[in-house]
Amino acid sequence: MKKPGISPYGRIPGALAAAAGVLLLLPLAGLDAYFLNVLTVGFLLAVFAGSWDIAGGLAGQISLGHALFFGTATYTCALLTSLAGLPFPLAAVAALLLSVAAGAAVGVLSAPLKGPFVALLTLALGEAAHEFFLGQTFFSPRGAYSWGGEGGIPVLLRLQPLSPWTAYYAALAFLCFATWAMLRIARSEEGLIWTAISGSELSARASGVDILRHKRRAYVVGAALAGAAGVGFAACVGRATADDFSLELSFQAATFAAVGGRGTIVGPVLAALVLHSLLQGTGIPPAGRVLTYALALLLTLRFFPGGVVGALRERARSRRMVQAKGEAL
Amino acid sequence: MSELLLAEKIVKSYGVNRVLRGITLALGRGEVVGLFGPNGSGKTTLANIISGLVPPDRGRVVFEGKDITRLTMDARFRAGISRTFQIPDPYPSLTVVESVRVAMLCGEAGRAARRDPHGASGQPPESTVEEEIESLLVRTGLFAQRFWPAAKLSQGCLRRLEFARAISCRPRLILFDEVFSALSARDEAEMVALMRSLHREEGISFLLISHNPLILEELCDRVVAIEDGRVFWEGKPGDLAKYVPAANHAHGHDEDPAPRGTDAGAK
Amino acid sequence: MTPLAQVLLDGLFTGASFALMAAGLALILGVVKVVNLSHGAFFTLGAYVAYVLDDRGVGNPFAAVFMAAVIAFAFGVFLGRSFINPVRSHPFSVAVGSLGFAILFEQAAQMIWGPHPISIDLGDPWVALGGVTLRRWGVASFLLSLGLLGGLAFFLSSPWGLPLKLVAEDEEIAGSVGMDVEKIRYLTFGAASAIAAVAGALLAPAIAISPTMGRVPLILSLIVVIASGMEKVWNIFFLAVGLGLLSNLSAYLLAPHWSYLLLLAVICLLLVLRPTGLSATVRGRDY
Repeated sequence: MKKPGISPYGRIPGALAAAAGVLLLLPLAGLDAYFLNVLTVGFLLAVFAGSWDIAGGLAGQISLGHALFFGTATYTCALLTSLAGLPFPLAAVAALLLSVAAGAAVGVLSAPLKGPFVALLTLALGEAAHEFFLGQTFFSPRGAYSWGGEGGIPVLLRLQPLSPWTAYYAALAFLCFATWAMLRIARSEEGLIWTAISGSELSARASGVDILRHKRRAYVVGAALAGAAGVGFAACVGRATADDFSLELSFQAATFAAVGGRGTIVGPVLAALVLHSLLQGTGIPPAGRVLTYALALLLTLRFFPGGVVGALRERARSRRMVQAKGEAL
Repeated sequence: MSELLLAEKIVKSYGVNRVLRGITLALGRGEVVGLFGPNGSGKTTLANIISGLVPPDRGRVVFEGKDITRLTMDARFRAGISRTFQIPDPYPSLTVVESVRVAMLCGEAGRAARRDPHGASGQPPESTVEEEIESLLVRTGLFAQRFWPAAKLSQGCLRRLEFARAISCRPRLILFDEVFSALSARDEAEMVALMRSLHREEGISFLLISHNPLILEELCDRVVAIEDGRVFWEGKPGDLAKYVPAANHAHGHDEDPAPRGTDAGAK
Repeated sequence: MTPLAQVLLDGLFTGASFALMAAGLALILGVVKVVNLSHGAFFTLGAYVAYVLDDRGVGNPFAAVFMAAVIAFAFGVFLGRSFINPVRSHPFSVAVGSLGFAILFEQAAQMIWGPHPISIDLGDPWVALGGVTLRRWGVASFLLSLGLLGGLAFFLSSPWGLPLKLVAEDEEIAGSVGMDVEKIRYLTFGAASAIAAVAGALLAPAIAISPTMGRVPLILSLIVVIASGMEKVWNIFFLAVGLGLLSNLSAYLLAPHWSYLLLLAVICLLLVLRPTGLSATVRGRDY
């Protein structure tokens, strides 16, 4: 049942490829280490935002504790390398596994709940992790240092210190791969089922969809990707702090997704990258940045609920429908 | 005719409101049974319990000899019971094709189990999911609108989409909840023809909930009249008007669709 | 001074103010029918108003309460009218949006007053009896909270409260009787936000004022509303006071951040273990 005309994905792959090309060449334009670092973190945040979009956008769950999975990954990397002395690759695998486990746990608890209560539960779980690790101190192997809380725990990499260029390109490659993977997942059968669930749970149930099982799966996949972003973050930044669990971070995930367009994957990824790079690149302090995000969120939710990419898609879709109607006549 | 479905001594209350009072309903294989009753009689609740949307307080539901009382709605879909909703709730961001695809994907195991090896449905056994979706859409008259967003369909088309979803899993039993209400005369006639052909070709049992005695007369082998959560009368559809006073006041199909939420036409 | 008794007494006093705040949240849940995550931010607003006034030499608690109420009411009506009302049918927008407003306020407060806790001078204790100090603010806040709660209960059961109850029960009827349902909604939102700010102003002298101070009262209020429903104001009172006592106790016996963790654990348990048997608006589970 092939449709004539533009590919159903529109011009998005082309635009993304162009953006990737620009990012690839940017360091050669002479950016200094600070800006490279800003962009590197931006890439990882973009993956984080995209990972939120799996459960939060595609499956329609109001997840306000996404930082739980991120922090689990960073803390696992930090603790296993600094305290247990494990090599980083091993710690990274453990971090991913623990993120997945956290995703499964959150999924099991959240799946039976209705919208606002999912928001409350995930918020509470994220805050609990944050509060717990804020007060939790760990002692370095020889007891010389106490780590934890806001000061954080160092992450030991044999390749340290990572050169800004290496970190930049590694993170960029990771972003490209992760975005491709998330888009594939979104267009898969599972992605279709998630979209159905977020559209009408009633119709989905009447279509044989096991709502609980598929919701749980969405959380697990989103958590795994968030964990991957966390591992990357731990490697690039070299430190895990309690802020990795913070509500501000969870909020940013939801905000980037809302502004970019829930359920589009590309929207959250681009929104995160652009907003973070712009705001941190111009030297605005963290409080000012988050404040701006909050403002952008409120304006978007009120006036453009579909987000940027969502609005573009809607326009493309109505154009297609007019076309199709014309063909049918 | 062996018994396909048995809803036995169903009791359901909402708060202090006793909606169903130990009602029992049975359906045989290949039967078309009508469920008639005024607003508040409990027929929709009974349908919700049989389809699995809502659990009963007491009583059980037995399907093909198996107790399915604890089974969720989606599990019942996969087991061969599907239903339509009086007010369809289409997926806001999916097209017609995609909407049907969801049901095809999730009903796959059940469909494969109930596949007719003799190909009575006219489909070769090795057809792909895409081909099956296509033939389903052709059959329900939605092929032309297949790339439309489901939310933009007319009421008549939405009902047909419900229909397509309901038959996609090759069910043995379909519950039709007021599927004719607020339809134009033409849509109604098309729907009746569709149901007739479906019944004739596949031998699916129907449980038709309707307040319209003319429709029930046309399609049903047997009618059950419910009032106050109990079976008031049971018999041939032609005798409905004789024994059930409420049937005398109902008129034909609705040209002017009533507002949502009301039981249009009756009384 | 018996520390435990003191802790319990202080817990009683703070609990009364938390009850006030929970009642406000219940109002929003019942009339506007949304789960409002910005409620804690209004509490914080009230506390900072009290701080600013105290900083300028206006030490009168009633002035602080009044100013807090007025400012919060204005903000609340604005937020309710421009954001909450239009998006209230979209749970995502409401939840994330109200959280967004809360975070916006937290960040603004941090930029203006800094992230570190500040405090207001408590003033002289009033009476010391039996080894327990009865502070002026404590008694005042307790009495005022009680009074306001009583006033709220009276208001709701009086003819003036009828529009609110009607909008809560059946908005179609309310609309068809000629009530401006939208207006009732945003006015209620403003009033409830003002109530939260009053609670913040009342408690300001007793607790550390920081940008994120509103999170604990928010979680506490949510627990109260989910667990006790919206019908009986006095259920709300007793549960809030109980939680306030528990929170104070755990802060004293363990450490301050454990009381927050305890509250978070309580709300998680509450949400997970099926809060059935509550009013329909609050019922959180489908299966």
